[in-house]
Amino acid sequence: MIKRSLVLLRTNFIMLTRQRGLIISSLGLAVISMLVFGFLFGGSDSVKTRLGVVDQDHTSISTQVISQLQRSDALQVFTGSNSEEQQALKNGQRDAVVVIPAGFSQQLVQGNARLQVSYDQSNPVTAASTQLTVKAIVDGINSKITHQPGPVTLVQQAVAAKNLREIDFITPGMLGMLLMWANLAVGIQLVNWRELGITKRLAATPLKPLSMISAQVVARLALSLVQGALLLGLAIWIFNVHIYGNIGLLALVVIVGALTLLALGFAIASFVRKTEAANSILLLVSFPMMFLGGSYFNVNGAPSFLQPLIHVMPLYYLNEALRQVIYNGAGWNAIQTGVLIMLGWIVAAMLVVWRGFKWL
Amino acid sequence: MISQEQSQGQSTTAGERTVMVDVRGLVKSYHHKTVVNNVSFSVNQAEIFGLLGPNGAGKTTTLEMIEGIRKPDAGTALLAGLDVRRQRSAVQRIIGVQLQATALFPELTLLETLEFFAALYPRALDKRKLLSDVALEEKARAHPQDLSGGQRQRLALAIALVNDPQVLFLDEPTAGLDPQSRHMLWDIVMRLREQGKTIILTTHFMDEAHLLCDRIAILDGGQIIAQDTSAGLIGRLGAQATIDCRLDGRARQADIEALEGITGVLHTNERYLIYTQTMQPTLAALLAYATTMSIPLTDLQVRAPTLEDVFLELTGRALRSDA
Repeated sequence: MIKRSLVLLRTNFIMLTRQRGLIISSLGLAVISMLVFGFLFGGSDSVKTRLGVVDQDHTSISTQVISQLQRSDALQVFTGSNSEEQQALKNGQRDAVVVIPAGFSQQLVQGNARLQVSYDQSNPVTAASTQLTVKAIVDGINSKITHQPGPVTLVQQAVAAKNLREIDFITPGMLGMLLMWANLAVGIQLVNWRELGITKRLAATPLKPLSMISAQVVARLALSLVQGALLLGLAIWIFNVHIYGNIGLLALVVIVGALTLLALGFAIASFVRKTEAANSILLLVSFPMMFLGGSYFNVNGAPSFLQPLIHVMPLYYLNEALRQVIYNGAGWNAIQTGVLIMLGWIVAAMLVVWRGFKWL
Repeated sequence: MISQEQSQGQSTTAGERTVMVDVRGLVKSYHHKTVVNNVSFSVNQAEIFGLLGPNGAGKTTTLEMIEGIRKPDAGTALLAGLDVRRQRSAVQRIIGVQLQATALFPELTLLETLEFFAALYPRALDKRKLLSDVALEEKARAHPQDLSGGQRQRLALAIALVNDPQVLFLDEPTAGLDPQSRHMLWDIVMRLREQGKTIILTTHFMDEAHLLCDRIAILDGGQIIAQDTSAGLIGRLGAQATIDCRLDGRARQADIEALEGITGVLHTNERYLIYTQTMQPTLAALLAYATTMSIPLTDLQVRAPTLEDVFLELTGRALRSDA
């Protein structure tokens, strides 16, 4: 049994590594994009995020928040009235403005405090950097509130002086895109096996379809981890990209993301009979995700009519989670929503598979 | 051909043998169309059993139900006493299957393919030995798509043999092959029977069925319409010879049927197949008839009746549309 599982796994893995199209579209495309963007928009000076803070609460808690912000090396904090700071943001003198609304400290005690944040969207890279920084601060405050009420202290590590270069932004995005191409294609693989009659030949052996599918899934996960490690290794080696987060957590995000895209691939294979049709659907699904899922660009500033579309894309949540962990050093709290949404996608896709998937 | 026919006769009349495959009342319908209708037969150990019939007769569906690939609507098949419906895995461990077109993973070499299939069974034969048995040892590192049609069929056969099966299923093993490749495959199949393997094959080649099969079931429209040895089936025609000729439009079937010794007449347009018990008088009468009526008689052939004639007589149709 064990020997058989190993042979199944090894065979599936070997087959994947020999699919030139798969390797080029996943690792190849990601590496080339990373190199192009990395060298094209290479150097950039370390610039602090200029943060305008508007205190409408005027309590000891809001003062504590501001002093915590001022202590951060990554931030240059300005204080002023709401209209002054919003105007400064429009003039490009601030990267973001945070408003601490009146009643913030009371809401904090009740556990439903909200900060209003406005960003300068003119420069996507800065905007992304600012968003990540501010999000980390807010998450820091949130975790403090929910778990141990008391003086607000920010997670300093998350707000450490970091300079988001283009390469820092694009590396997690390329990892996400790589995972998409490597795993969504499982649908084509299955439709092709079925169309060629390979599944029929296997049906004449004692092999259970589930064994073969499991081996294929594990082989794709292994390939995802290997390719992801290669991509990140290159990014670290050539561009000094730093992984701030926990490697175990990063691996978890990679596996959840890969599983989500695998599940979608299986869903595609559940209602398509022809390889050609599977290919078309794959392109139809993956191209919008590739551009709107935030692999290449920061999509938070995309027009509002696109936002609903962006916010259903599993790749968007995968990219966000990867950026949080890789660049922002975020912990589980910052990524749990995204991970849960991906798990939701897996459940939805498995329902489609359960309704429509045919091995023969 | 005659001597082969005799050797076939001997092998089937040799003493009692164990029944290896017992097929009972198989039925399969698709979209309210019955593709296989109450098919039953049994095959003894070390016997080659042929399912003969035109395309769409239900040969492949019948095989796939016995192999456990498709579930029959009714009926079942016992292989070495195991019920394919209830003990599918156990059955599939003792059978080897060559599908009509065996599709294989294009990314794997021949050797890797055999290793993969070998891993699916509790025990397997030596992979390199299998390749050399089907004369593919030099192609061990090639990929399936680099093989010729004949080589690919031999590879499919090697894969079917990887678990040293007791029963072997070959679905049109020589379709689309050149004569040399067909002969090579026939040799391998006959060697396998000598090793004691039970073989069920489908074909629409009369000569193949005649040469290889100990017994033949003729399938048409999903039903077995005749089942016997090749010699037995031909004997049912009651004819000593087949006269194959061309007569123009003035010839009438009734006139020909009235000639001496005739057991049957078939014709399509101007081509006539005349079965006779008494070849010489019938031929003389036919020539006289053509001369008297001034009908030109062309393309005349006189030969021993074949399975093709049996099929024509049974169904009124040619076995292959191109025949």
